[in-house]
Amino acid sequence: MKITFTINNKEKTVEVSPHQRLLDVIRKELGLTAAKEGCGKGECGACTVLLNGEPVASCLVLAPQADGAEILTVEGLLSEEGDIHPLQQAFLDAGAVQCGFCIPGTIMTSYRLLQEKANPERQEIREALAGNICRCTGYQKIIDAVELAAEKWQAGGEVQ
Amino acid sequence: MMKNSRQNASNRQENFGENSKKGQKEPEQVLGQNVPIGSADYLAPESLNKALEYRSRYGYKAVVIAGGTDIMVDYFEKLPEVTSWLDLTKISALKNIEITREEIIIGSLVTHLEIARNEELKKYLPLLAAASSEVGSWQIQSRGTIGGNIVTSSPAGDTLAPLLAYQARFVLASTEGEREVAAEEFFVGPKDNIMEPQELLTKIIIPHPPENTISRWWKVGKRKAMIISSLTMALLLEVNKNDRIQSARAAYGAVAPTPLRLESLEEYLTDKDLQEVELKKAGNLAEEAISPISDIRGTEEYRRQVTRDITIEALREMQQR
Repeated sequence: MKITFTINNKEKTVEVSPHQRLLDVIRKELGLTAAKEGCGKGECGACTVLLNGEPVASCLVLAPQADGAEILTVEGLLSEEGDIHPLQQAFLDAGAVQCGFCIPGTIMTSYRLLQEKANPERQEIREALAGNICRCTGYQKIIDAVELAAEKWQAGGEVQ
Repeated sequence: MMKNSRQNASNRQENFGENSKKGQKEPEQVLGQNVPIGSADYLAPESLNKALEYRSRYGYKAVVIAGGTDIMVDYFEKLPEVTSWLDLTKISALKNIEITREEIIIGSLVTHLEIARNEELKKYLPLLAAASSEVGSWQIQSRGTIGGNIVTSSPAGDTLAPLLAYQARFVLASTEGEREVAAEEFFVGPKDNIMEPQELLTKIIIPHPPENTISRWWKVGKRKAMIISSLTMALLLEVNKNDRIQSARAAYGAVAPTPLRLESLEEYLTDKDLQEVELKKAGNLAEEAISPISDIRGTEEYRRQVTRDITIEALREMQQR
């Protein structure tokens, strides 16, 4: 069956089978490999993408359910020139990335949080990211990174 | 969003055969005409009537999916075994929240995120809004629906104790019509309920709690997010201006085969001055009324002790409010 959706501001029509997951379509059919499969059961958050503006575990979404939807992945955060997004830069500057497997999901949830709340408290960041599990960092630097990104935006740019 | 859906593929095939002998159309013939999305296996109707038609034709043979946060886990690595999906997510009629003078009516497809953030629900149904805000994680709340939580019927389902405490009624629809069932009568065992294979849960109807209501929600788990609750409590007291308890509803989850109300505790609390409630006695009543199991989320002994403790603590908070 054919489904059509917008991903990273581009409209795509893809042939999918009804039991394909959105995560598999994004990774295998479209070759966008930022979103990762960790647990496959919605518990780890590594596959987080924004679906119609909210973070979802893309391993728990059937591909046909994304018909007509708007999807954003980390690849969609890059500027037209290919520069990384200030939020990604903040993760680098804060040293928030170790193995990196969970980071694309963490970035997408953080991105949504900062859209909603320009200057979140540390506790609010923790709560927002509760569904993004990281085995390496111990989370402190991830929270630092989101705070840093929030500061940068407040100082200059805006969340797109 | 459906019980007993885990038949294997060969069973399903046999059942199709039986149905066709009884003069029903082969599903394949119907599908091509009716499925806008264009697949024989994927039914995604936009109208409730169409969904009910499919439901009466397919019964358990089509796996019903909405947010997918339970079903996709149940079918992890077995997705190809599903021969037919009935996806409800395009049915906008099931996504409304309606507040009338007497009742609050929540469509079965309303997500936990929508409930947790709805200012009116926070005001009128704080136990439910709080429970929804603690389901899983942001990712789960944005997909998971209140209807799915109910129909999955896990004794640990986070919204279930609040729904019992609020005396919710569930509207079950089929092509034959609708019936309304009290939340207490809906759940009959772990992941089991009274729904028939041709029915869909369409609405949750909750009478407005009286204005002089105080309540406390409590979720106990090994961590705050992404955890199946070890136990939940939704305690609701209607207290008049003389601090007399006019009615009490004490609902608990994950402490018995179904979420349940503790009648002995409710009786003890009713018609008593709040300040005269003996906390230990109330705690003991709660502990005695439950029938928990030991599992990876807690032993029976742990569940009894914690049920007692949070009951006492919640009532203490209410006395000191």
